Amino acid sequence: MTARAGELSPDVTADPKNWTNRLRGWFEGLVPPGQALPARQPVYVASWIYVFGVLTLASLVVVVASGCVLALGGVAWWHVSAVGHYFNSVHLWSVEMFFGFMVVHLWGKFWMAAWRGKRALTWITGIVLFGISIGTSFTGFLSQSNFSSQWIGAEGKDGINSIGAGAFFNVLNPGQMLLWHVVLLPLGVGLLTLIHIILVRRRGVVPPIDAELEG
Amino acid sequence: MSRDNTPDSHDFPTRRYDLVKEFVIALVVALVLSFGLAAIFSSPDEKAITMSGWAKADPDNLVTTAASELAGTTTSATYGAPYNTNAEGQKLGPIPMQKLGGVRIPIDSADLVLGPLSNSSADPAVSAAEATWKAATPDQRTKWATAYTDAIGTAAADGAPATGAGGEVAKVKAGDYGPVPVLSAGLLALATTGGLEGALTSSGNFYGGDQTKSLLLLSDGAYLEDLARAQNLGGDQWGMMNEVGNAPGQPWMWLYTFWYQVKPFSTSDNADAQVWALMMLLTLVLMLVPFIPGLRSIPRWTPIHRLVWRNYYRTKRA
Amino acid sequence: MSALSIVAGAPGKYIAWGVIQISVVNLAIIGVMVLLFILALVVPFPTHDDESGGQEGRGR
Repeated sequence: MTARAGELSPDVTADPKNWTNRLRGWFEGLVPPGQALPARQPVYVASWIYVFGVLTLASLVVVVASGCVLALGGVAWWHVSAVGHYFNSVHLWSVEMFFGFMVVHLWGKFWMAAWRGKRALTWITGIVLFGISIGTSFTGFLSQSNFSSQWIGAEGKDGINSIGAGAFFNVLNPGQMLLWHVVLLPLGVGLLTLIHIILVRRRGVVPPIDAELEG
Repeated sequence: MSRDNTPDSHDFPTRRYDLVKEFVIALVVALVLSFGLAAIFSSPDEKAITMSGWAKADPDNLVTTAASELAGTTTSATYGAPYNTNAEGQKLGPIPMQKLGGVRIPIDSADLVLGPLSNSSADPAVSAAEATWKAATPDQRTKWATAYTDAIGTAAADGAPATGAGGEVAKVKAGDYGPVPVLSAGLLALATTGGLEGALTSSGNFYGGDQTKSLLLLSDGAYLEDLARAQNLGGDQWGMMNEVGNAPGQPWMWLYTFWYQVKPFSTSDNADAQVWALMMLLTLVLMLVPFIPGLRSIPRWTPIHRLVWRNYYRTKRA
Repeated sequence: MSALSIVAGAPGKYIAWGVIQISVVNLAIIGVMVLLFILALVVPFPTHDDESGGQEGRGR
């Protein structure tokens, strides 16, 4: 018999006031036992549309890894080094793929109404991830220290200033933009991605529209 | 809340499915594609433009821009928050969105000219011009600077005739321009040496890293924008989606930039605030699709899901 | 950098249609995405349902 999400493991009920027990119990209850990395999926998970989520995740791994390589050399490295320029190219193309796969994943999830069965939060975290990713790529463009950065900053400032945010978020300040790009926004993307995936494993893959169980 | 009859996914029959193998394969695909596309198509790196580049390519425009900063007529001088209080800024209906942030990056546009000159110019004529400027009243300063920019004028364009000297500084007629011509020429000279960016740093100390003043000065002139428009990067050219050369841009920005191409936004003074608000609304609607009747039923009415789950539906019918 | 790398300085190729203006590269990317979406829907997914260990009543 599989436990449902939310059931406490035995130790917690033995000493529920213990913070460690409660935290562990909460962790264990996030996903039904065996469902974090199950070796089986419901029979209806049988379409190529399902691979776009994991392709998005894989692209994100390449984006972060290539970004780390760029960080090794510093902001201006790629202007003066062929290796640095190559990894800038890897970073650019992995970002294009990240967005490409993510949008196809979004199309699939919409036409499958994947928010059904208490999965609204999975859908919402996905949309928010899309938005934060756009912000991350924007700060990335501003960190290129070339003509594109100059123009994107000059134009972007008008949009951001128009809503009063420019007083705090200065796109003409590469020092600030770089730190948002490599620290704050990736943390946001990473955290939300983790929540999104936990939610998918918690609820399982959404059943087909109008699916009914036998018996 | 309407009924959601979706059964629990854990109650369905299952088959073998290797998630980790799937991820590893996806990672290999992503790596091969990224490294391969990078090797074939590389990435663009168009060098940052410099003040000296501007000075050499279009000295008349740099001089005109300097004079306009002194006259207080440039985009930055009349921007409003967060740089100054010289404009109301953009509004969303009655809400003064732009002003809400406050003037937290104070920039005095005349200082974009005077600051670098006072720190760097050894030319006695420029020092004398600065002294004259400092001693004059604000009204007198504006008179001089406006007279000079009017005298320089603009070249003929889009059917409108040329004004003043047609934009050519050398052809400006004699007039009462005070110290403005010397100050503007002084800025041009400083730009030509390559020292202007350093003199304009906004970072406040030895270490650079804040290019606000330099970029505002560049944006007040025509050089940066002309180069950008030549590459289809202008706002009314769907520029938000584009990159220099033949590089891939940001196709996902298509809807954000679309609104700028059509009325009423294309002719609105508050276009930026309005487009932002519209896109926030649309994003909110997209986020809340699960709760919006009608919208959330569109997938049910469209047979795309029947393709995704055709094996399952076929088995159920059997 | 390979010999085919993108030349900076020259503007790219663009297609204009009414108010729409799009670069050839961006259009190609969008085209590939649409194609991938369609293929994902119609190409059969290998399920190996004939293998033993088939289907259990409840997920584990």
